[in-house]
Amino acid sequence: MGLRFGRIVAILGLGAALGLLWNGFSGRGLALGRSVFVQRGDEVIEAGEAKARLDRGALFLDARPADFYKMGHIPGALPLPEPDFERAFAALEPRLRRHFNLVVYCSGYGCEASNIVARHLREKGIHAAILNEGWPAWTDAGYPVRSGEAP
Amino acid sequence: MNALRHPGLHLILRLLLGGLFVYASLNKIADPPAFARIVYQWQVFGAVPSNLVAVILPWVEALAGILLLAGIWKREAALVVALLLVVFLAAAGSVMARGIDVENCGCTSVAAKAEAGVFHGVGWFLVLRNAFLLASSLVLVGVPADAVEGRRALVQAEGPSR
Repeated sequence: MGLRFGRIVAILGLGAALGLLWNGFSGRGLALGRSVFVQRGDEVIEAGEAKARLDRGALFLDARPADFYKMGHIPGALPLPEPDFERAFAALEPRLRRHFNLVVYCSGYGCEASNIVARHLREKGIHAAILNEGWPAWTDAGYPVRSGEAP
Repeated sequence: MNALRHPGLHLILRLLLGGLFVYASLNKIADPPAFARIVYQWQVFGAVPSNLVAVILPWVEALAGILLLAGIWKREAALVVALLLVVFLAAAGSVMARGIDVENCGCTSVAAKAEAGVFHGVGWFLVLRNAFLLASSLVLVGVPADAVEGRRALVQAEGPSR
């Protein structure tokens, strides 16, 4: 007896329909159109907008671990690694409080560090925008980068 | 080859695959955002496609698993399972080739760092396990089972009259 491909389509189609219905109506679902890391109050900007803000003097914050920062970062960015937030923040606090144009980024859509840092900053009364898809979005767009420990 | 046709083997493989896929789906269905976070870690699709995977994949796993357990549309359900396993194997190969460290593969549980290590991360254990499951599902797809013992005896008794 041969395989009935209609049945395979039915399994896949019914699975998709049930998944979408469950996501929409169970109350446990997620917003399909954006990263699940994004929370209320987050300002997410694309690479082009981030570049425009850099040109207008925005201060970038690198939420990745320090080694990544040394390998390459956005020009002028300060390291504010998420795992070491409190210590790094204490050193940077006066500068961050004077600056009203902050953008935080991490390793890409798979990392939550930029969202977490933005949330920590918000708790301290400081607003920072989040670069959508982070470092790879910046480098893929061909925007300038620097390496080493200096901003 | 004859052993692969044994109806007992088919029953065991069906229950094993069906049970595993239903079990694996429950946790993910209960918490789509948690599963989406795990899909992001694989860094295969991008955020929005990953959301769709996180929402739909567990239900396809559950449906195929239920059909295998119930013995309905067995070969088609086994083929869907085989297709999923091929995708999982390709994704695991991609993650390993790129050197991405995925602590919890999200295969059967979305619990964060439940028991990090070889059995939960993406590595050779996962590849071998999925290869074994893929082989099992392909047996169900491609090898017809012999008639069960009672019927076989009946058929043999009827002998040449067939």
